[in-house]
Amino acid sequence: MLSIKALKANVEDKPILNGLDLEVKPGEVHAIMGPNGSGKSTLAHILAGRDGYEVTGGTVTFKGEDLLALEPEERAHQGVFLAMQYPVELPGINNMVFLREAMNANRIARGEAPIDAVNFMKQVRAKAHLLQLDEKLLKRNVNSGFSGGEKKRNEILQMLMLEPNLAILDETDSGLDIDALRIVAEGVNALRSPERSIILVTHYQRLLDYIKPDFVHVLSAGRIVRSGDKDLALELEEKGYGWLEEETAA
Amino acid sequence: MISQEARRDWFEQLLQQGTTAAAEIDEQAWLSRRRSQARAELGQLPLPTRKSENWRYTLLDGLLGQTFQPSNEAFQALLPEDIDDWLLEDTHAYRIVFANGRFVPGLKSFAELPEGVTIASLQQVLRQQPEMLSIWFGQTANHSQDVFTALNSALMNDGLFVHLARDTILDRPLEVLHLNLSVEQTALIQPCNLLVLEQGARAEIIERYTSTGDSVYFHNGVSEILLEEDASLTHLRVQEESPQSYHLHRSFVSQAAGSHYHSTSVALGAKWARQELQVRFQAENAECQTRGLYLVGKDQFSEQHLDVQHNTPANSSQHLYKGILYGACRAVFDGRILVGQAAQKSEAHLNNHNLLLSREADVVTKPQLEIYADDVQCSHGTTVGQLETEQLYYLRSRGIKLIEAMKMLCSGFAAEIFADMKNEVLRERVQNRLDTILVRALDETSGEKHV
Repeated sequence: MLSIKALKANVEDKPILNGLDLEVKPGEVHAIMGPNGSGKSTLAHILAGRDGYEVTGGTVTFKGEDLLALEPEERAHQGVFLAMQYPVELPGINNMVFLREAMNANRIARGEAPIDAVNFMKQVRAKAHLLQLDEKLLKRNVNSGFSGGEKKRNEILQMLMLEPNLAILDETDSGLDIDALRIVAEGVNALRSPERSIILVTHYQRLLDYIKPDFVHVLSAGRIVRSGDKDLALELEEKGYGWLEEETAA
Repeated sequence: MISQEARRDWFEQLLQQGTTAAAEIDEQAWLSRRRSQARAELGQLPLPTRKSENWRYTLLDGLLGQTFQPSNEAFQALLPEDIDDWLLEDTHAYRIVFANGRFVPGLKSFAELPEGVTIASLQQVLRQQPEMLSIWFGQTANHSQDVFTALNSALMNDGLFVHLARDTILDRPLEVLHLNLSVEQTALIQPCNLLVLEQGARAEIIERYTSTGDSVYFHNGVSEILLEEDASLTHLRVQEESPQSYHLHRSFVSQAAGSHYHSTSVALGAKWARQELQVRFQAENAECQTRGLYLVGKDQFSEQHLDVQHNTPANSSQHLYKGILYGACRAVFDGRILVGQAAQKSEAHLNNHNLLLSREADVVTKPQLEIYADDVQCSHGTTVGQLETEQLYYLRSRGIKLIEAMKMLCSGFAAEIFADMKNEVLRERVQNRLDTILVRALDETSGEKHV
């Protein structure tokens, strides 16, 4: 599904990714862990198509196509979704209107008919309920005055509505208390299927108690320095990132 | 640059030509007096130039370089189907239509009105109940202040007259369509409107200024709005005139104790537009809330003037204006609130925000607060910005196309202005119009890098 080969990227002429390789097959859940500044969020944004990153080498193919050649909206149409670490507020744009616009933009791009209002409402209600997201938040402007946890849940709501093929969650667990974390994890687990892949970018092992990854990768200085199964996450939790960095340096 | 002499001639000439047009009204003595005063003052008042603070940022050469003839034509033959395109559907409003500032009797939508309500043309009232006018007329609009007001007063011949007697409630909104058309010549159109709400009266008035095609004309309008004790007026105003037209409109609002004036105005059209609002509180506990949106594109000039004076205690005024500039254009916001020494316990807030979508857009923003009382709550602020890259990225990452994302953010920016617009038919129409203009403009400029 997703194939990243020797990816190198700069931010303001500073190299952040230094030859990153990653293969994600349909149905797999990959966790990417690593210390601050190792390039985790940069990777997430490069995949989603944010401006300001200069790819200096390597390739990213998604479903056999060059992902980097696509505009952010085209990537969404192909089924890429990024749950952001810091979702922005959109003043004056109603959350429900936004969700419907987004859904229909994707459907139209894929040659499907727009969703009708009744169906849409039914789906939003059911999914907001699953995430225990107050329905009042649906009527507010996007993320305006939402708490940190509400913003994260609103991201997951969008993900559930858009049903992406590749969902990237950028530190969705940060700032969530244990109950909110469980709810969000349930939401993500609800999306798991043999056709769908998930990349969890996280700093802590905690999230992985609830969403069991198939693979765990450790990112350090812009490269994946170690890959393993979920036990690797536990090891990291115990020892910290220091030992890996030392090992890599050695 | 147009010479001082040429400027004087410009007014002189209009005055000369206007004489015949105005003479058809059977004059009352007070009106003739008023007219000749205005005429005399017109010759003496300072002419608008970039040197006076009030006209400093206004581009005047286009207007003063163009010749106009006072519009004499009364479009009596207009039929309802001629104005279909401009009508609001499903508002159930009382409707009255003016073409080039003149009342069109055949297009009035009502035969009867609730007791205590008068909705008519100025000419009708001058013929039938002139004494009614003499009480109210010219109370707030001072023609000795400015040449354009003097020009309007000197040649005044028609306009909207609304009067609500004490405690009368207008049961449906009043829709006023001001349709401007220049058929053979470039017309000077000068409606003179008078709205009087007596004690405790309430009304909602929707005024729409619109025109056919690319008509070239100069609309120089004056509205006087008198709100007596506890009267309440919701005033919606939409200006969507021809892209070749010049539109100057002045509203003078006088508020008695406990009165409410809520105004939402949207300026979308005209080549050159300047809208002025003057508010005077006469007593205590009155409230004034204005919301304004201006959308300015290629080759347009759009200006908002606000002049609010709190000279009595415990009044509240809140003013929020937003502008979206989407091409090589200029917009001016010049707002001033004066809180005088006697105006303790006043509340006054003045805000202006501008969104620039083009590198060639030029905005002048000048919110001013002058406070001489010490126990007041006042604030003012202004911003000029562009679309936020992060917000665009967020929308696009959800599959929404760039142009659509830009449009959504612009509409979101403007949404606050419509938040209090309870008339949904009008709100939807204006928002759709806004969307259409924005999408077209954004499509055209998509080559330009916006962010």
